[in-house]
Amino acid sequence: MSIFREHKTVADRTASDRRRHKQKIEKAIREGIHHIVADESIISKDGKQKYRIPVRGIKEYRFVYGNNGKQVGSAPGRDVKRDQKIGDPPQQGQGQPNKAGGEKGEEYYDVEITHEELAEYLFAELKLPELQRRQLKNIESEKLKRKGYRPQGIIPRLDRKKSAVARIKRMKAAGFDPEKAEDGETFSFHEDDLKYRHYKMKKKPCTNAVIFFVMDVSGSMSQEKKFLARSFFFLLYQFLRLKYETIDIIFISHDTEAKEVEEKEFFTKASMGGTKASSAISMANDIIEKRYHPSSWNIYLFQCSDGDNFLEDNEKLVQEVQKIMSVSQLYGYCEIEPETSWMSEPGRLYGLLRPLQGNVLKEVRIQKREDVWPAFMSLMGGSIEE
Amino acid sequence: MDYKLEDLKEWDEKIVELAKKHNLDWFELDYEVVDYHEMIGAMVHHGMPSMYSHWSFGKSFEQTMNRYNLGAEGLPYELIINSNPSLAYLMRENPLYLQILIMAHCVGHSDFFKNNRMFRNTRPESVIQRLRSAKKRIQKYVEDPHVGIDAVEKTLDACQALQFQTTKYGQVRRPHSEIKAEYIELINNDKDGKYKNFNIDMMPLDPDYDLLGFIEENARIPEWKRDIIHVCREEGQYFWPQIQTKIMNEGWASMTHYELCHELDLPGELHLPIVKMHNAVVRPHIGSINPYHLGFYLFQKIKERHGIEECFLAREVCYDVSFLRQYLTEEDCIDLNLFSYSNKKKLGITVDDVSDEIGWKQVKEDLISNVAGGSIPVVFVDEIKRDRMLVVRHEHDGRDLEIKHANEVVEHIKNLWDGQVKFYTMLEEEPWEID
Repeated sequence: MSIFREHKTVADRTASDRRRHKQKIEKAIREGIHHIVADESIISKDGKQKYRIPVRGIKEYRFVYGNNGKQVGSAPGRDVKRDQKIGDPPQQGQGQPNKAGGEKGEEYYDVEITHEELAEYLFAELKLPELQRRQLKNIESEKLKRKGYRPQGIIPRLDRKKSAVARIKRMKAAGFDPEKAEDGETFSFHEDDLKYRHYKMKKKPCTNAVIFFVMDVSGSMSQEKKFLARSFFFLLYQFLRLKYETIDIIFISHDTEAKEVEEKEFFTKASMGGTKASSAISMANDIIEKRYHPSSWNIYLFQCSDGDNFLEDNEKLVQEVQKIMSVSQLYGYCEIEPETSWMSEPGRLYGLLRPLQGNVLKEVRIQKREDVWPAFMSLMGGSIEE
Repeated sequence: MDYKLEDLKEWDEKIVELAKKHNLDWFELDYEVVDYHEMIGAMVHHGMPSMYSHWSFGKSFEQTMNRYNLGAEGLPYELIINSNPSLAYLMRENPLYLQILIMAHCVGHSDFFKNNRMFRNTRPESVIQRLRSAKKRIQKYVEDPHVGIDAVEKTLDACQALQFQTTKYGQVRRPHSEIKAEYIELINNDKDGKYKNFNIDMMPLDPDYDLLGFIEENARIPEWKRDIIHVCREEGQYFWPQIQTKIMNEGWASMTHYELCHELDLPGELHLPIVKMHNAVVRPHIGSINPYHLGFYLFQKIKERHGIEECFLAREVCYDVSFLRQYLTEEDCIDLNLFSYSNKKKLGITVDDVSDEIGWKQVKEDLISNVAGGSIPVVFVDEIKRDRMLVVRHEHDGRDLEIKHANEVVEHIKNLWDGQVKFYTMLEEEPWEID
C-alpha cells in the first residue's frame, strides 16, 4: 500500500524564477532593440504595425557536440539506403546573423511587440524627471472656449435658438396664443429674450510637434555612422511620439547644400562633397517660418554629424543655430566620432557649438552602438534604474 | 475527474500485491495528486519538492507550459524521483485508466532505482532533505549584502553549465595526498626508468574528470561559492545514473506496467485505453531513438531468449552501454530498422549505415556512443600552471565541439576558478584553443 496525498497549493513554486526569467528577457529585448532599428523604418506606415525583435542570449550553454557526430534512429521500413540524403546540409556562415534558426543551438525568442510596448520597453525604466519639468513643457496656445450665455453681446454671437426659446417662454407666461391672435397682433422679441454666446480665452497646451532630423551625408559619413545616427533618431522619435498627438518629421540631409528628403533616402544616400552645416539649419528655419509656426508647434531639431564643417561656414552656422534655438524646445547635436580623431577638437562642430549649450542646446557623442542609449538619456535628462 | 482518491488507493493495492508476486522490490511509493500547473512546476524542478531558486527553472516552466498549451506536448504522464520513499506525482486531470498505468509504471521505476547498481551512491533517503537545506543556504547567500542575487546567479549559471562535468558514479574524491603517495611509491620502486621524468609536483597528478569537484576542492574562492559548486556537483552526480540508464529504466518500467496491467483484471473500459496508451508510449520515433520503445523491446527479447531471471540480472548490473552491447543482436537491429546518419558539410544529412548483415555492427556502435550520456562531451583538468592558470582539455573522440557553446562554457569556468583558464580541443582535425 502506497502513500497518497492531495497536494495543497501553498505557493506557486516557480513564480519567482519566472519573474527573474522575465526580467532577463526584457533586458534582452532592450539590448536587442537595435536589431529592429536596423530593419525598420523610423515611422511605421500604420499604427498597428508590430515589431519583431529577435531576443537572444537567455540560453544555457553547455559543452555540446557540433554537427559532425553520428546519430542513430529508427527507420520507418527497410527502404533506407546507405548514402541516401535525408536532410539539407548545415547552414554555416550564411544568411543574416540575426535571423532565427541560422545556427545550431541558438535560441531565439521572436518577440512581437506593438508600438506602445516597444516604447514601454524602451522607456519604462527610464526616469525622466528633468524632462517632464522642462524639456517637454509644451508651448501653449490661446483658444476661445465657450462658456455659457450672457444677456449682452455682439450680434455675431447671438444664439438664435436660445433666444427664440426665451421668447416662447415669455409668450406662454403672458397667455398669448398666436392661433387666436387678432390680425396684425404679434408677440415680438424683447431685449431680454436675446441670448449671446459667451467665450472665454483659454490656454491650451499644444500637442503638435515637429521634429527635424538633420544629417550630414557628406563623404566622411560612413554607413556605420549612418546606422548609429539612425538608431539615435529612432529612439528620439519613439520617445517624442509618446508625448505628442501629432508629430511631423522633416528629414534634411546636407553636404554643402541642404535637401529635404524622404526617410529612405535620408539613411541611404551618400554624397561626395564637403560640408556646410549652416545650409541645413537655415533650411529648417525656412520651413518653420513657412509651415510650423512656433506658437502652435513644439519644435525639435536633432542633428547628427561627424563634426566636419567648412571653416568659413562656422560663423553662419552659429547664427542659424541661435536663430532656431530661440523657437525650439530642444536642439540636440550628436557628434558621431570617427575611429581616429585627426582634427583638433575646436575645429569640430562639437567644440564650436559648446558655448551655446544650455537648456535648449545639448551635445552628445556617439562612437559605437553601446553609446546610443547613454547619449539619448543625457539628451533627455533621464537615468536608467538598475 | 472520473475517479476518487479511494479509487486510486484501491487500484494501488492491487498493483502492489501483483508487483510483489512478480518479485519486484521497490521503495514505498508516495503519490502526490497535483493539478497541471503544479505538475509542470514539479517537472521543471526534476520532481524535487524543494529546489533552490534559479531563473532557468522559470524559463523551463514557460517553455513547458507553452508547448503544453499549444498541444505540441502531451500531458506529463509520469514523474517520479529516486528517493526513499519514492515521491511520484499524479496529475489530477488524468483519467483513471492513465493513473493506473502510471502507478504500475512507477513501481517499475522505483524498483529500478532501488536495485540498479548505478544508483548505489545516490543516497535516496536524504536527497529531498539535502536539497531543502541547500535551497535555504543559497537563499541566505542571496540575502547576504556581501554576496547578493547577481553573484549567486552567475555562479549558478556556471555550475549548471558544468553540472555533468563530474564523476558519473558518485565516487568519493580521492585526496591528492593519497594519489601523490602512490606515485612516490612507484617512483621509489621504479626499475625500468618509466618515471624518470615524472613531475611529482603536478596538480592534478592524474587527469581529473571531475571538473566541478576539482574546482570545489582547489579554487581559492569564498566559501559561499564553494558551497554552491558543491550543491550543483552533488546534483549532477545524483542525476548521472538516470542519464546512464534512460533506456533500461524506461524499458523496465514499461515492461512492469505492461505485465501488471495485463494481470489486473481490468474492466474493458479501462483496459482498452491502457493498451492504446501503452502502444503510443512504446512506439518507435522515426529518425531518432525512443528509449521507452528500445528498452521495452529489448527487455521483452531478453525474456524470450534467456528467461525473466536474466531480465532481473540485467536491471541490476547493467547500464545502457553494457545493456545494448550485451543484448542487442543483429536480428534486433534489423527488426528495429536502425540506421545511422550524420551531417556532412556539403552533402547534407546522409545515411551512413543501415542494419543489414554488414552494417548492423557499426550501427550498434554508433548507437552505443550516443546513449548513457555519450552525447555529453568529456573534459578533464590537465593541470594548474604556476600562475594558477587552469588547463582543461576536451577528450576528443572524433566529434567536434560546438565552439560557440564551448566559448561560453569556458567563460563559466573562469567565473568559478580564481585564475586564467585555458581550454584545448580539436576542430576539423586542427588543435583549437580557447582562453
